[in-house]
Amino acid sequence: MSAPSDPAIEMVDVCKDYGSVRAVQNVDLAIAEGEFVVLLGPSGCGKSTLLKLVAGLEDLSSGEVYIGGRLANYLKPGDRDVAMVFQNYALYPHMTVRKNLGFPLHRQRKAKSFVTDRVDFAADLLHLQTELDRYPDELSGGQRQRVALGRAIVREPFAFLMDEPLSNLDALLRVQMRTELLRLHRRVGRTTIYVTHDQTEAMTMADRLVVMRDGVVQQVGPPDDVYDRPVNTYVATFVGARSMNLFEGRVVTANGNRRFEGPFSLDLAADPLSGIADGEIVLGVRPEDVSVCPDGAPGQLTGVVELGERIGGDVYLNVRMPEGNTIVISVDASDKIGEGESLCMQVAQDKLCFFGADGARLSTGGRDS
Amino acid sequence: MATVKQVEPRPAARGGAAGTNLPREARRAHRRRRLGSTGRHAALAFATLVFVVPFYYVILASVKNSNQIFSYPPKLLPFPVYLGNFKELLGQTQFLRWMLNTLIVAGSVAAIKVLIDSMAGYALAKLQITGKRIIFILMLILLMVPLSALIVPLWSLIRMLGLLDTYWALILPALANPLGVFLMRQFILGLPSDLMNAARLDGMSEFSIYWRIVLPLIKPGLVVLAVIIFTDQYVSFIWPLIATTSNNMELLTVGVANLHARGGVNFGLWSASAVMSLVPIAIVFFALQRQFMSRSLTGALKQ
Amino acid sequence: MFFFFVLFLLVPVVGTFWWSTRSGGLLGATTSVGLKNYTTFPQQVDALTAVKNTLDFALLSVPLTLVLGVLLALLMVKVGRGGGVYRFLIYFPTLVPGIVAGLIWLFLTNPDFGLFNNILHAVGAKPVVWLGSNSALRTLAAVDVWRNAGYWAIFFVAALIGLPQELYQAAALDGAGPLARFWHLTLPMLRRILLFALVVSTIFGLQVFDTALIMTAGGPGYATTTIVYRVWQYVFAYPDEIGLAAAMSSLLVAAILVLTLVQLRALRSRRGLD
Repeated sequence: MSAPSDPAIEMVDVCKDYGSVRAVQNVDLAIAEGEFVVLLGPSGCGKSTLLKLVAGLEDLSSGEVYIGGRLANYLKPGDRDVAMVFQNYALYPHMTVRKNLGFPLHRQRKAKSFVTDRVDFAADLLHLQTELDRYPDELSGGQRQRVALGRAIVREPFAFLMDEPLSNLDALLRVQMRTELLRLHRRVGRTTIYVTHDQTEAMTMADRLVVMRDGVVQQVGPPDDVYDRPVNTYVATFVGARSMNLFEGRVVTANGNRRFEGPFSLDLAADPLSGIADGEIVLGVRPEDVSVCPDGAPGQLTGVVELGERIGGDVYLNVRMPEGNTIVISVDASDKIGEGESLCMQVAQDKLCFFGADGARLSTGGRDS
Repeated sequence: MATVKQVEPRPAARGGAAGTNLPREARRAHRRRRLGSTGRHAALAFATLVFVVPFYYVILASVKNSNQIFSYPPKLLPFPVYLGNFKELLGQTQFLRWMLNTLIVAGSVAAIKVLIDSMAGYALAKLQITGKRIIFILMLILLMVPLSALIVPLWSLIRMLGLLDTYWALILPALANPLGVFLMRQFILGLPSDLMNAARLDGMSEFSIYWRIVLPLIKPGLVVLAVIIFTDQYVSFIWPLIATTSNNMELLTVGVANLHARGGVNFGLWSASAVMSLVPIAIVFFALQRQFMSRSLTGALKQ
Repeated sequence: MFFFFVLFLLVPVVGTFWWSTRSGGLLGATTSVGLKNYTTFPQQVDALTAVKNTLDFALLSVPLTLVLGVLLALLMVKVGRGGGVYRFLIYFPTLVPGIVAGLIWLFLTNPDFGLFNNILHAVGAKPVVWLGSNSALRTLAAVDVWRNAGYWAIFFVAALIGLPQELYQAAALDGAGPLARFWHLTLPMLRRILLFALVVSTIFGLQVFDTALIMTAGGPGYATTTIVYRVWQYVFAYPDEIGLAAAMSSLLVAAILVLTLVQLRALRSRRGLD
């Protein structure tokens, strides 16, 4: 097996073409043993394809995939020692839960008692003991999901691959299963690649996040990092429950002070701007980095609340500014700011993000927590 | 075949007998619907009668002796039953042998075709094969070409293979029909691909995926296909006529045709052979009505 | 499967066209004669008759079968209780081998003791020769209708059940009577289904053979000699004219291929081949 420092799963310059369409482009990714990596992107971005390439369910067009230090390009799916959980669960409809769980082990010609033990263990872990003799179509969505998970667990594979496993559950169940999955991961500690388009899943579960778009990896890093320092405007808009507010404009220097001139004017602190020349930029700020403040202070923005959306303890306000642009800010529900109210707002200067006109992040700084 | 739900709304059964305390308009509407329903039943019953009478008439003839067949007015009830025609058919002709041949050939064609068609259907539906599209289109184009249009080259081909007048001559050409492949492909396309992916990750070969996952899941389709093929073989005539030469290799249809052609005029024997030929297919039809009806629906699959 | 498909379907189809350019016997050596078989074709009176008979037969039996099928389907789709019995009985003739159907109808059409003439006799009408040179082809078409109408009736029932019920409710609210609904809703929505039925039943109609063999042996004269019947005769009676037989077969194959393509095109206009 591999040395401890070796990545558990490594993709080197991986490409996948369907005819003339390039579904996955030059992906390089190394995943450490025990790591929980989430592939995040909109549908059709190639994340599921990438997962299937690792599983061996699709053939690589070029590049290499290593699993446990072994070149896996030519290994059959069944020989890669990975287990997959599918979006639609892919339970064998003609087998009971018990048979579904035991099936992969039977295929490996394991002893009967061994299979029974493992199945019982998984059923215990996932609270499926009473469902063992039922068929998949007699189960609820959550139970099916757990059977699918159990079928992966009984194999004790080298790595888990999960393809949007929670997307078919209703909202409440999804949250419960998310927690359960995390608990399971902590307990089993296997390398996991998890594909989703759900922000919250990605942010809460990932050790590391891989953001993809049109088959190209945009950014790889811990969720906080990706959230705070998106590499480009795409990631800035895509990652997070709410998109980052983006404003096109330019940086100018006047009287030694630097200003942002766009839909509105804003004096900028010097620090975050070091190394950024005057010219076209895109200014980005997260909703929670804008605060409401009393009138009168310099460097403020003003606007009228157009719409408030309450989500739990927070309210997202769509605020229309005099210049016609809208900014989304997040305030505490207890502030009780109503629609139609006029506001003064202040941005947290140290958390601003600057992108070039091409969308790529300019400063190495940006939002820091 | 889904049972047709009665679409007639129930007459408003407010209190007493329907119609007594309803306004006149409603009563008239109700009567019209009832009349419509009765009319439909009557029309259908009449049509059904027309469809059934030929069978009755030939059954009637089969239990008459030759004098009774020709007598006028005809007796419309089959009593007394005369079994001489059936005795002659079973005792003095190879009829049972022909029936056995038909069952053997139709049975083996159905069995083999269910297997190879589902296999080919799986390949077309779920596997990446080079040239898949070309095969598919070729099959689609030749879907409707019947054996009866191909007897010249088929005959010389089978003769070249030295198979004339054997079961093989009857079985092999029947295996070529692509209809079953399309049906199976359609069925298998309906199965989620991830089911097969899961099995692949569990280390199954493509064949065992086909055998242990696909086949069990398309069982209803397999039965329908078997019924279609069996029926087609059961009624097939021109190719068996040409491919067999000896009396004991003939299929039911060929044997019955030859009874008619070779022997002298013998209406009793003919009617008995017609009745007996329908016994096996009638039994199978009765047992598998639903699958037979969906034979008719398979065409709709293509829509 | 693909192996059998190629050997016993693709090869014979090509073979039919190949044979059609040869002269000589099925058993002996053959020589290529180019398109001669096609050019001499019109001079073979009986061959031409066979084509004409086949077309006449199809033109007669196919429309009748489909119209009757639609009518029966319209009746059946509305019937709840007892519908199963009707369907069972109306469908059964479709499982009768052509040979047996022919035999059965011999008993109906026999001029002396047949059911039809018995009925005519009972109502005091003159007996009819059902299998004479003018009537035989029509009788064969009737057998075909009897055998196939049930098949299409069940087929159309399924199609009718699949039609969106709300449209009918909407039309009823708009004041459309049953006839108007049939004409303006049912027929247009069944257009593709009907085309499919038309193509398929035409293809089957063109192959008529079994009943012609058993009921009339192609006669009287050549009155019911059809294409397949003629080909069969060539193969057995004149094995030296194998090229002519193949040429006739290739006409049939070509017609069927054209019909298939028409059908595929019609389907394709709605969505791709797959």
